[in-house]
This record gives sequence, structure tokens and C-alpha cells, in this order.
Amino acid sequence: MSEPTFEEAREELAEIVGKLEAGGLTLEESLALWNRGEEVARVCTEWLEKAQAVLDAAAEDDDADATSGAGNPTQE
Amino acid sequence: MALETGPESPVPVRTVSQMLSDWIGKLGAIWVEGEVADFRPRSQARMQFLTLRDIEANASLTVVADSELVGRLDPPLEPGARIVVWARPEFWAGRGSLQLRARAIRSVGIGELLARLAQLQATLAAEGLFAPERKKPLPFLPGRVGLICGRNSDAEHDVVVNARDRWPATDFEIREVAVQGANAVREVTQALLELDSRADIDVIVITRGGGSVEDLLPFSNEALVRAVADATTPIVSAIGHEQDSPILDHVADYRASTPTDAGKRIVPSLAEQRAIVEKLHQQGHMIIRRRLEQESHVIADSRARTRRTLLHRIESWTNDVSHLRARARSLSPAATLDRGYAVVQGADGSVVRDASDTTAGDLVTITVQHGAFHASVTEEAAS
Repeated sequence: MSEPTFEEAREELAEIVGKLEAGGLTLEESLALWNRGEEVARVCTEWLEKAQAVLDAAAEDDDADATSGAGNPTQE
Repeated sequence: MALETGPESPVPVRTVSQMLSDWIGKLGAIWVEGEVADFRPRSQARMQFLTLRDIEANASLTVVADSELVGRLDPPLEPGARIVVWARPEFWAGRGSLQLRARAIRSVGIGELLARLAQLQATLAAEGLFAPERKKPLPFLPGRVGLICGRNSDAEHDVVVNARDRWPATDFEIREVAVQGANAVREVTQALLELDSRADIDVIVITRGGGSVEDLLPFSNEALVRAVADATTPIVSAIGHEQDSPILDHVADYRASTPTDAGKRIVPSLAEQRAIVEKLHQQGHMIIRRRLEQESHVIADSRARTRRTLLHRIESWTNDVSHLRARARSLSPAATLDRGYAVVQGADGSVVRDASDTTAGDLVTITVQHGAFHASVTEEAAS
């Protein structure tokens, strides 16, 4: 099974919380759900960290443009 | 009462002369106005001859006057003078010629000429010939300029030099004509009609330098003035000095104060036009440049806003995920493990709830607060 998308992982995490809140689970089931929950939470966190890094890189590009002077397309 | 004549029954010359003389004699004395075209005083002669010419049309008559009558005139007769003659037309049988026998001669004074000009001007004004709405605008840059002027005149030079000073490529079609005297009206009018009929002439300048009131009279002539009013090409009048104002000035589409003024008025200044084009060029440049700056600001702003929005959402998602994670943990056995408890699972994953379920040598998995490890059962503890 391939790595879930951010939305899929987040959805699954919410479902796990819902099942745990509903109760009536055996200890084994609870443990298995918790472990799965930790895994999808890690997937979500990785996604968000990657997105943050992309935005940070873009911000650095802007700063570099600003210091080298705005592009001047006209020819004098 | 025509004569009955035929090849076989001709009449003698004297009969025809007599009849012409009788007919012409019946006209009686009349007042005639014209300009002295030719007059050579004959000293010692009893009679003087002069040629009286029409002011506008090509028509002349010979006038005969007593030397005594001519001698009394003040100012004396001279070519170009305007006179009014009281005369009787008569046929001179000896030479077969027609002449006016003068009984009185009066010179037309300047005051009277000016009064007549004022009258003509009022008449033409009443006809609306001077109305501003009749004035045709001068072309911005004429393809070719028609110029009517005297031969080798200063006026011609002033117009040409001043126009070319402003616009070096100004192209002239020059008609050098009589600009004073008996032929002026006819020659100027002819040149005007000819230039006006040409499609390549976009403006016509009529010019001459300053002169006496009589010198400038042709430019107040009714026939000439009406020809100018009827012209389809815009006409510039540049006659004499600032203070001179022949009727041509009023009917022309533009009245230049001097020939120099006319030269400056008919063409644009090359230097000024260059400056205007250069300024427009720079303005265009500035506008494009400002626009580009604006656009790049809009794009930069959009990028910044997009980024801020995304950062905000990432932050919100991060909170969301950590909240769900904490909630899952608090609801799961992990909370119990945090307090120091452990969960023991057999090889099949089932939770060991009873010590008797295990025997020595069994492999179990023990999960604690942080992680899990395997262990093997050595012996059952005493209970």
C-alpha cells in the first residue's frame, strides 16, 4: 500500500480518534489503533514540514531578488 | 436703316464715315473713369493725346484734350494716375479712329479712393465674405506652397527664407507677376486661378512689400478679392506692412502682418516638431515602465499573500494534527503506559492477562511507555 496523501492520512487520524472516543474496544484493538494513529500522524507531520520548507525556500528567493534590485525589462 | 449694298452697288468710304460719325455723335458727353496708361506731352501742340485704360478689364480709349486744359491740371497728368474725364465720343473721319474729346479732366484724389474702398469693404462685409466661418484652416504641413509675388522682390525672399528656416524642405511653386500698376489685378488673379486649380498646391500666399495707397490698390480690387473668396485653396495675404490693410486681408483665410510672418505661418517648425515627438517618445517610455512596475508589484503582492495564506493553513493543519494525535494518545492505552504499566503480548499478539497462560520458554512482547521489547518466559512467579 503506497504512502497515503495528506488528506487521507488526516482523515484516517480523525477516524482513529473517533473510534477510540466511542470506546468498547479490546486492549489489542486499542493498541493497534494507537499505533496506526501514530503512523498517520507522522505522515501528516512530514507533509506539513515539507510544505513549510517549500514556502521558506520561495521566501529566500524573494529576498535574493530584492537585494539584487527589481528586474528592469526596459532598455535605455 | 441699314444701307442696301452689294458687290455691284458699294457705298464710298465717306458715306460710312459720315454714318459712324452721326451715330457716335448721338452719344453726347459722358463722365468716364480710368487710369492714364500712356501720356507723352507734346510741347507747342494745340492738342494733347493720352490713353485712358480700364482699371480691371483690358480696354482702352484715346482721349484728346486741349493743351490748355491739360496744362491747368494739378497734379499734372502722368501714367498710372486715376482720372475722371467729361468727354464726348467722336469719330475722326480723317484717320477712321474713335476718340474721346475731353471737355474737363479731374484727378481722383486719395481721399475719394479711400472712401470708395471703404464703401466696397462695407458691401463685401454685408455679403458675409469676411465671416470667420468662411475662413479655411491652413494645412499643418503643406505639400507645396503657391507663392504669388513681384519679380525678384524682397517679399518673395522673406517668405521663402523664413519658411525654409523653419521647415527646410518647404516646396514652393512661385508665380512672379506685376504687383502694382495696370496689369497687377489681371496677372495676380490669373496666377491665383491657376494655382488654385492645382491639386498639389495646399496653400497660396499672395505677397508684396509696402507701398503707397495707389500701389496697394490692386489688392483691394473687387474682382481680385472675389476670386480669393471663391478659391478652394486656403489663401494667406501678406501685403505691405503691419499698418497696411487692403481688402484682400479681410477676405484671405489668414492675414499675415508681413511677408516674414507669412513664411513663418505656413509651415511648422522642424525643431519644435522634433521636440514634441521626442517628448511623446519619452512619455510613452515612462508610461510603459510605470505599468511594468505596477504589474510586478501586483504579482509580488499576490505571491506574498498566497504564501501567507498557505503558512497560515499549514499552521492550522499542524495544530489540528497534533491535537488529534494527543487525543488519540489520551484515549489509547498509552496513557496507562505513561504511568509505568506495561502490556505483555504473546506470540499471536493476544494480551497476556493470566500468568498461567504462559509456560517457560514462551516469547512475549512487552510494550512500555517508550517502545516495546521481546522477552522470554523463564518461570512462573510464585503467586
